[in-house]
Amino acid sequence: MLNKLKFAGAVAVLTGLALPAMAKDHVIGALFPLSGPNAVYGDVFMAGSDLAVEHINADGMLSGPMSIAYEDSQGLPQPAVVGMTKLVNVTGVPYTLSAFTGVSKAISTLGQRNHVVAVNGGGVGPDLAALGEYFWNVIPLVNLEVRAVVPYLTGEMGLKRMVLVYIDDPFGQAIQSELGSAFEGTDAELVEVLSVPVTAQQFSGVAAKVRSAKPDVVYIASYGAQQLQIVKQLRDNGVDAQIVSYSGYITPDALALPQSEGIVVTGQAVDYASDDPVTKRFVTDFKAKFDKDPTAYNVNYYNATLLYGLLAHALEQEGKDVTGENLLAKRLEMKTFDLVGGTVSFQDNGTLLSPIEVKQIKDGKTVTLSTVQIGG
Amino acid sequence: MLAIQLAITGLQTGALYALTAVGFSLIFGSTRIFHFAHGASFVIAAYFFYATFGAGWGVIPAILASAFGAVAFGLLLDRLVYVPIQRHEGSFFTVFVASFGVGIAVQNVIGMIFGRGYVTVNTSLSRSVEMFPDVYVSPLAWIAILCAAIFLGGLQFFLRRTHTGMALRALADNPELVRTFGLNPRAIQAAAFAIGSVIVVPAAIITSATTGLSPAIGHHVMLISLAATIVGGIGSISGTMLAGVLLGLAESLALLIVDSQWTEAVTFAILFAFIIIRPSGLLGRATAH
Amino acid sequence: MEAYIYNLVNLIAIYSILAVTLNFIMGYAGIYSLAHAVFFGLGAYTSSWVAQNVSPSIFVSYPAAMVAAGAVSLFLALPALRVRGEYFVAASLGLQVLSVTIYSEWKGFTGGIGGVLAIPPVDVLGWEVFRPGQFAILSVAVLVLVVLLTTALVRSSFGRNLRAIRDSESAAASFGKNVPMIKTISVVISAGLAALAGALYASYLSFINVESFTLDTSVLIMAIVIIGGTGTVAGPIVGAAILLILPSVISYFEFLPQTEIGSLQQIIYGLGMTLLMIFRPGGLVGRRPGR
Repeated sequence: MLNKLKFAGAVAVLTGLALPAMAKDHVIGALFPLSGPNAVYGDVFMAGSDLAVEHINADGMLSGPMSIAYEDSQGLPQPAVVGMTKLVNVTGVPYTLSAFTGVSKAISTLGQRNHVVAVNGGGVGPDLAALGEYFWNVIPLVNLEVRAVVPYLTGEMGLKRMVLVYIDDPFGQAIQSELGSAFEGTDAELVEVLSVPVTAQQFSGVAAKVRSAKPDVVYIASYGAQQLQIVKQLRDNGVDAQIVSYSGYITPDALALPQSEGIVVTGQAVDYASDDPVTKRFVTDFKAKFDKDPTAYNVNYYNATLLYGLLAHALEQEGKDVTGENLLAKRLEMKTFDLVGGTVSFQDNGTLLSPIEVKQIKDGKTVTLSTVQIGG
Repeated sequence: MLAIQLAITGLQTGALYALTAVGFSLIFGSTRIFHFAHGASFVIAAYFFYATFGAGWGVIPAILASAFGAVAFGLLLDRLVYVPIQRHEGSFFTVFVASFGVGIAVQNVIGMIFGRGYVTVNTSLSRSVEMFPDVYVSPLAWIAILCAAIFLGGLQFFLRRTHTGMALRALADNPELVRTFGLNPRAIQAAAFAIGSVIVVPAAIITSATTGLSPAIGHHVMLISLAATIVGGIGSISGTMLAGVLLGLAESLALLIVDSQWTEAVTFAILFAFIIIRPSGLLGRATAH
Repeated sequence: MEAYIYNLVNLIAIYSILAVTLNFIMGYAGIYSLAHAVFFGLGAYTSSWVAQNVSPSIFVSYPAAMVAAGAVSLFLALPALRVRGEYFVAASLGLQVLSVTIYSEWKGFTGGIGGVLAIPPVDVLGWEVFRPGQFAILSVAVLVLVVLLTTALVRSSFGRNLRAIRDSESAAASFGKNVPMIKTISVVISAGLAALAGALYASYLSFINVESFTLDTSVLIMAIVIIGGTGTVAGPIVGAAILLILPSVISYFEFLPQTEIGSLQQIIYGLGMTLLMIFRPGGLVGRRPGR
């Protein structure tokens, strides 16, 4: 099934390339990791965005068929900029989906300069909230996750000594500064901070340093294949402390890893049991199509894609062109949208708020421990 | 305690580096072929093991499959690439570029077959036990050190005590001498590739269980092999072993002072310093000019 | 479609500059460097910093990039004077790996893996050049300048000295040539001109990070020179065009899954390098092997 998805993406790219000027077609771009160690995320994101395209086309919401031109970002800034250049200059899209903190920051300049909207539903670095008016987030950023989990760890779980192992990139650095401030004024402390390079695979030395700091909780801020390597090698090398991570850890690979048992993770809370028709249709069709429960990432990219459908539909009703400028103006004008999980509104900086859940991994599934409401 | 722990970790890494580098050193030292695709031999050995072990072949057949993969690759490369080049030219750089090209192709073929992410062979042997208070060692560390001792000792014995071994050592200096032994230099060269390739197998298998594999790992393997060969002194097998262990230790102990992102830089700063200050290496006799 | 072609022209011009400058030391002086991406990167970082903090004028940011790269290239000249052959390749590898670490960690200057964002467009006499069409004029103009300059140098007495050193260092020295000086100057010129490619790259993409300046890039540049033909004028440009057009050609084969295109391109260029070395070591444009 995953292969089929990838193939659909490839066809979309090629048709997007071959027919850049077809007037009534609605083509949006997407910069997802389709290869490399983070490709597992690309499959998850596409499951959401492709379902939204199906729904939009089935409803005849737009004047012509909608499709997504996928570009492979590998989850890295450089290939993403090349892909974004292609989407902006060649395919000529007004709207792109983006993922990952480094990728999103890198493409934001191109988006701003060329008036192309970029919507992030996967990257969670807090500085994503400040990338200009053409950069929107349909995901709560990780500062909210950190703010939710620290009181839970230090309070309910009584863990006072934390070690942070973070990836040395914009995302990891953001977590580091968030954790630093989250511990201020509590009786708990961040006893050691260890950074690892993006390409590192060997963590037995890091594990030794973690152990010598005698933590009762270890926060791991990485993503993709590397975070699994870190967890495995910490456990292999005698680190028995509680491990904590963030929403990016909730992937099929990570849940399947035996060493993941007992890890505490955070993530946005989505009310899948909600009665509103958008959520019901999404949950029903997702289960029918993929034979499993949706995750927050599926929801976010469904929402990001549906948001384009809603805005473009409104613009077409008024007889306006669907351009980046008009999409932005329309979003500021409409303010609230019916998306999966309920009616949502954007903050002025283009970012959504959402309650956060603290969860624990048990037998390859997540169990909710607590839900935290976060104010603006 | 941290220093002891890091020293043991470094020794394990160093043993693997020595095992990896010695194959390259043997091939380069005896044939003067800059076998940059040595990293690809490592990757092939590792993925053959991963695939066959994962398919339920059992440990011994999987090890044999891995050895077969590495040796076949080394011999084919010698036959199809290096020998034709040597026939018409054989400048160091031509061979290097050809070998580099093969390395790139192998990495991507493996990536297309097995995916570009990390894969790990699951075994309880990678799980550490507490030896002394706060010092954890995994059974695989002992296996790595033991393998290094056995294979490298065996290699030294072979090079010093057998006809083929002595011919190998002589090949670099004087191919004519090899003929007087009644041996064919081309066959000796093939022997160098077979031995140099098979000796990466233990390191490849142990790495697949500890840190895991990715198709791109060959690059790092090659850089380490090259660094150990030059730091040890080109043409000196013992020098390469010593340098491999030292580089592993340096990389691990560096964590006492610097963050982990600097450890690779430590290795290459050592390499760079050696080339500038002492190009003949730790135990080498050849000069660089 | 035009924009797509302009985009390709820009990339080909930038990589051609890199290949021409590497060819200058590799093809004529026999200095086989695997650290060329270091100077590409330094040029990009320096010009970005100057453009953001001093002036985005092409007459300020681009020369600054050249000066910085020329100065740092002395680290490469040092082993070039001491050792040859495999030792020099290893030394340049060492320098490349060290530089990548420094580019990843010196965040105040390079932004680390996060890179430098919002690099202003380059200012040419009051014009902000960033649209692919306009930029193509600039990048091709710089390429022409670099080719003219290196060709003039190669044809001068300096170039004859270089070739003499490549063919036999001791013979050149015995003719009273100042071998260390000639080698050092050629490395500095090569690095300084390579920095121009970095400056173009940074102002064109408006974003740079360390991933563009790794060993893989150095290898790609070397592959371009070798596949095109070392020691020729047209070779590096032909090589750059072939290796950069290849992925677009492959992407027209519709039956290939998109995720495998990158791999296929790598396999083709890897095997291409190998086959060329076996059957035509001089490269596509090169002479038959004469030496």
